Amino acid sequence: MGKPRVAIFDFACCEGCQLQIVNLEEEILDLTGAFDVVEWREAMSEQSDEYDIAIVEGSITRPEDEERVKNIRRRAKILIALGACATIGGINKLKNNFELGEVKEYVYGKDSEKPHLDTAKTKAVGEVVKVDYKVHGCPIDRDEFTYILRCILLGKEPEIPEWPVCVECKAKGNVCVWEYGQVCLGPITRAGCGARCPSSGFRCYGCRGYIDNPNVEAAKEVIEKYNLDIKDLKAKMKLFGSGYEPTKK
Amino acid sequence: MSGRREDRSIYQPELATVRDRKMLNETELYLRLSMDSGVLEYKPGQFVEVSVAGIGEAPISISSSPTADDGFELVIRRVGNVTNAIHKLQTGDKVGIRGPYGKGLYPVDEVKGKDLIFICGGIGLVPQRSFIKYVLANRGEYGQVTIFFGTKTVAQRLFASELSEWDKLEGVEVKETVDKPEEGWGGEVGVITTLIDKIDKDIRDAMIFACGPPVMYKFVLLALEEKKVKAKNIYLNLERKMKCGVGKCGHCQMNNYYVCIDGPVFCYSKLKDIPEAI
Amino acid sequence: MGIKKISKDGFSGLIEGLIAETTVIGVQSKGDKFVYDLLGSSANLRLDYDVTILPPKKYFLQPAEILLRFDGEKYEAEFDDEEFVLVGVHPYDMIAINQIDKLYSEDNFDSHYMRRRENATVIACDVARASENVFASSMGTATVSEGFDILLTDIGDFYVAESATDKGEKLLGKAEGVSTAEDEDLKAREKIQEENKKNLNKHKLGCKPSELPGLLEKAYNHPIWEELGKKCFSCGSCNQVCPTCYCFNVQDEVNWDLKSGTRKRVWDGCLLDGFTKVAGGHEFRKSRADRIKHRIYRKGKYVPEKIGGEIACVGCGRCVGACLTDIANPVKIYNRLIEDIGIGK
Repeated sequence: MGKPRVAIFDFACCEGCQLQIVNLEEEILDLTGAFDVVEWREAMSEQSDEYDIAIVEGSITRPEDEERVKNIRRRAKILIALGACATIGGINKLKNNFELGEVKEYVYGKDSEKPHLDTAKTKAVGEVVKVDYKVHGCPIDRDEFTYILRCILLGKEPEIPEWPVCVECKAKGNVCVWEYGQVCLGPITRAGCGARCPSSGFRCYGCRGYIDNPNVEAAKEVIEKYNLDIKDLKAKMKLFGSGYEPTKK
Repeated sequence: MSGRREDRSIYQPELATVRDRKMLNETELYLRLSMDSGVLEYKPGQFVEVSVAGIGEAPISISSSPTADDGFELVIRRVGNVTNAIHKLQTGDKVGIRGPYGKGLYPVDEVKGKDLIFICGGIGLVPQRSFIKYVLANRGEYGQVTIFFGTKTVAQRLFASELSEWDKLEGVEVKETVDKPEEGWGGEVGVITTLIDKIDKDIRDAMIFACGPPVMYKFVLLALEEKKVKAKNIYLNLERKMKCGVGKCGHCQMNNYYVCIDGPVFCYSKLKDIPEAI
Repeated sequence: MGIKKISKDGFSGLIEGLIAETTVIGVQSKGDKFVYDLLGSSANLRLDYDVTILPPKKYFLQPAEILLRFDGEKYEAEFDDEEFVLVGVHPYDMIAINQIDKLYSEDNFDSHYMRRRENATVIACDVARASENVFASSMGTATVSEGFDILLTDIGDFYVAESATDKGEKLLGKAEGVSTAEDEDLKAREKIQEENKKNLNKHKLGCKPSELPGLLEKAYNHPIWEELGKKCFSCGSCNQVCPTCYCFNVQDEVNWDLKSGTRKRVWDGCLLDGFTKVAGGHEFRKSRADRIKHRIYRKGKYVPEKIGGEIACVGCGRCVGACLTDIANPVKIYNRLIEDIGIGK
């Protein structure tokens, strides 16, 4: 059996997650040793319609993108959603907080009705086609990405944490950024990033999406404790959490 | 500080070789293994941690009787990463084994001379088989043996030919039931408790051994209560998440007991004081 | 073993000497908090600290540590053989380590943990400043009598230094500025220890620690567990910062050859979703209320039954500060139970 063929595609995104793959540096040789990369616009000129694994970056924001991603799904045995835009819709979902015409006019002004600028409500890849694996984060964590790829090669289901960022943050010995007055989304956001932001003094922005079973009542409790308004929390949750419901069990 | 220095790791698997493998049904794989160095000495009711490098470990009950002289047997249901990987093993392959673990706690000697009833739900037959075979190998020392075996479908039955062999033995009775029968099924229909309900003799002095999915125990215990069986005569074989198998990692704890080192077989009179058990 | 005193200069010199020849871990400041970290200079050592963010447990049971390396079928256990000196362990943390020593050495000897324990020289010190949430006085853990190699007590210009092992004795023997501890020095030490026994008590437990297992015996169906469960994030922060929590998960990681790799253990927590979930999907302790109850029972009843009665909460107060929704404080829970159901029969 030959090496699995991989194709990398992008939709609406900043392509920063693909850049993280490029940034694997020497490990990229391991990757190209294990897989046959047949299409990757950001890094090579070849294209192919024959692949086993499709890695899809970005969110789905136009009707024609829906068709394109469905086509990719049909060809691929395995589809991996890469990065927050693909896994949860990401920042692109901010658009869904507004009326579509209003958004178009704000961005494109008088050209907004031109057909090539047509747009639709933002969807995560999984809202359009079946997703087999999710690489969370904005941007993705390189180690987690290669871990998931090795799991696929081994036929093993990757162990992605079902607990929140606080677990990793505490294990690192960080001071809780709530103590510094920051509205951190760590307690409801899926771990796996190694608490990257809080370890650098930033709050958690929630880019990995909510844990399966977030406790909204507890969140209200914290808001009260710190004399904040629930609006403060909701505003913070909008960036990555617009129109994205936790997958409650 | 004890100052005791040990160079061995309790987490170090020893290698075993797959001597025989066969699928018992769609999801259950039978393996016969032998340790590469020495013999695995175990008691009925004990389990091993099976290790596949790169994937992980899973606690698996030993299904053979200690009286068997040709390695030991495991039956593995495909439910997760490790068991998936175990299913890929072929005859001659190596696999890591730690153990045996658990006290076993089947009262092998205490129940001599008594009538024994084994209540097995699905894959719950697997660990019980170790004790059943032990009893059959020492047939004269035990009374009447009754084996109840229930599965959801006919296709999920295990060790069917072995069960019918046992049924032919003097003083052994095997009764099977399935939830969803198909044409040609000659056994009972319904959940396992239907077999208990149909017992028409006094079983108050019999010893009962039950093993099955968590949901089964509640109903089995109610059915046994109807038959006036005392808690001290009932033994249950419990399942929990386990990582270390040696009482450290904490996952299998139920109240103040660790299933890995205190069980996995428990007398019901003890379980009554362990609210998290059932 | 003996009790001496050592001048602060002499002690700094001792630490500098150790830094030159071995790995020295010590308490240092991190912003307005304190942490254990690799010590680069004795000047960074802060024995006047109140509490560290994480307990020193992390040097024996690491947040993530390799148990085995494998290559194909071969498994090889990995042990840490680096000797190190751990400076500044407070009595309550020392008692926590002593408890885990028992749990990891009895029954099945965990050589990974125990090797690190043997490789360590522990210089403990009496508490010089009470932290915001400490309740060691309530738990009987404000002072410690064993487990360390040397115990320091700051009496002004000197430390009273008690060596409890050969290792400690030898170490002190190397130091300069060591002299006989006079009666007044011993009295000064006793005064500090007696005060700590009373004053490290920001949360006051309404009973003796020895009465806790009996209290919990009656509290299994108390409504408090459901009340707390409603406010719990299941973030495991209380587990992660706890000096007596010792549960772990085990994970395999493979290299790109898909044959070689490592088997690691990483800290786990009984408050986390999935802690009791088996491969088939059944989760045995699913409700948050039950998981909070389990944590309190483990500390106040189950572990004590395993280690001869000692309560497995040492009153460091870290969980109190780590819990965003303020529900982790064991004293608050115990006192509420005492109020509702009372001590005694």
